[in-house]
Amino acid sequence: MADDAIIRTTDLVKTYRTPFRRKRVEALKGVSFEVGKGEVFGFLGPNGAGKTTTIRCLMGLCQITGGSATILGQPVPSRAARQRLGFLPEQPYFYDYLTVGELLDLGGRLFGLSHAERTGRADRLIKRVGLDHARGQALKKFSKGMLQRSGLAMALINDPELVVLDEPMSGLDPVGRKEVRDLILELRDAGKSVFFSSHILSDVEQISDRVAIVVGGKIQDVGRPRDLVGHAPLGTEVVLAIPPGDDGGVPAVVADIKARADSVRVAHGELIVGLAAGVDVDDFLAFARGHHGKVVSVTPRHETLEDLFMRRVEAERTRGAQKAAS
Amino acid sequence: MIHRLWAIALNTFREAARIRVLYGILVLVVGANLLAVVLGEMSINEQSRVARDIGLAGISLFGSLTAIFLGVFLLYGEVQRRTIYTIVTKPIARWEFVAGKYLGMVLILSVLVALFTGAMMALLTWQGVAITGALGKAVFLAWCEVLTVAAIAVFFSAFSSPFLSGIFALALFVIGRVTPDLRNAANDAEATWIRGVARATLEIVPDLHLFAISGRTVEGKAVSVHGDFVSWGYVLSSAGHGLFWILALLTFACVLFQRRDFV
Repeated sequence: MADDAIIRTTDLVKTYRTPFRRKRVEALKGVSFEVGKGEVFGFLGPNGAGKTTTIRCLMGLCQITGGSATILGQPVPSRAARQRLGFLPEQPYFYDYLTVGELLDLGGRLFGLSHAERTGRADRLIKRVGLDHARGQALKKFSKGMLQRSGLAMALINDPELVVLDEPMSGLDPVGRKEVRDLILELRDAGKSVFFSSHILSDVEQISDRVAIVVGGKIQDVGRPRDLVGHAPLGTEVVLAIPPGDDGGVPAVVADIKARADSVRVAHGELIVGLAAGVDVDDFLAFARGHHGKVVSVTPRHETLEDLFMRRVEAERTRGAQKAAS
Repeated sequence: MIHRLWAIALNTFREAARIRVLYGILVLVVGANLLAVVLGEMSINEQSRVARDIGLAGISLFGSLTAIFLGVFLLYGEVQRRTIYTIVTKPIARWEFVAGKYLGMVLILSVLVALFTGAMMALLTWQGVAITGALGKAVFLAWCEVLTVAAIAVFFSAFSSPFLSGIFALALFVIGRVTPDLRNAANDAEATWIRGVARATLEIVPDLHLFAISGRTVEGKAVSVHGDFVSWGYVLSSAGHGLFWILALLTFACVLFQRRDFV
């Protein structure tokens, strides 16, 4: 990827000073990753991990304290690179006295588009993001979801090669989130690269070709989601329907099942049994069937991105606590 | 570059229009002219003098106050409202953004000056008084003053809150208007430190008195918009002084803005 990297950061460091006490805060502590051409790259991290700071450094909103970064082959900050990219900030704030058409016209003017290009693209994008019905309204009357969609349209006005989206699904309802996911996939199909940050793991897992997990201002993992979580099963979940005992209560076999299982819980009259990785599943199923148990489902459990993410966050918290204690 | 500057300027003008700043200006214009009519009627055969004085004072005072009010929010407001995120991430240099915002203010303030001038001229025409070249020169000088004050406000807005920027800009406006007194203090004050402070202040403050000279003495000659006024040479030289300060203040504002982190 080294040659066709659309975004490349090398040991990116960003340090702030707090306003009054001038205390030094290290927001980024050497962030390195690369985003390839045509890739959807998810940038994952908990609140305060450094996602937005990284994006602000890349977009030239903050000055880089150390390390280096390039976008579209240009060192950051670069006006030439900004000509070829689109950006949606986190919780976008726009000139709320403008209509969405005027907002896109302003964006188009800043990219040097002709009047015909601005009008044509604005028209198409307003329809694409579903704001055709609100063309005449000032942005101050827009809901959060409508503002987010206006921001997406603004990010695409220059038909960019790279789209950088900071928390694009934030504050959206499930329908809005799906629309944004679809739009990102559509952009990828059109050959564009997409770099987006999120802390909504399911969204990132569904659409990202590769992800980076940033915790505590450092990259913890980079790779394809399936490669990161590993393939070895963590265990198996078995759902059983067990007939009631002779007295109508809990059948005696449940105690035997509990002895063989990692976890057992009851939901909707069924037993949900968690088996550890080393347990012989066939043997357990034969045992259950031998006691009149009906097997409803058997699901192998693999590590998810959420498991990995939580492990990284916990490890960072532990490190932080140890550091504070020492 | 021109299309980017124009885009920012147009948007700044549009903002002022949509938040009804222009309506406020219109109210001031109507109010000032009503005052001119009332005071003119109270005076004896001095209606046209009152109309000219109030018209020019209106341009200078209301223009400068509007420049301060709009200017102190100009850059600070963009950062606070985070609207700047969607603009400076486009292919625009930060200095272009500052210059574009200032140009937008120039448009707004020029509309203010035009409205005041138009109303004053209408009143004078109604009173049967001829419009003289002196009045044109005085209006032009007042316009230069307003634009210089706007640059002062924009400069402070690049690094300070609107409240502090407003105080600083107002202080500079007042000090800039009393430069003859400062010059006297610099030359004649008994205490050395007063002379030093006055001299230093004269170096770092735009001489706004250059723009409001009607009724004063310039180069040993009494000048008045109602009679003998300054030459075009004086007007152009004063405009040059204003332009120098505008460029200097905007350059400093751009340098400060360039170094800012938007977090």
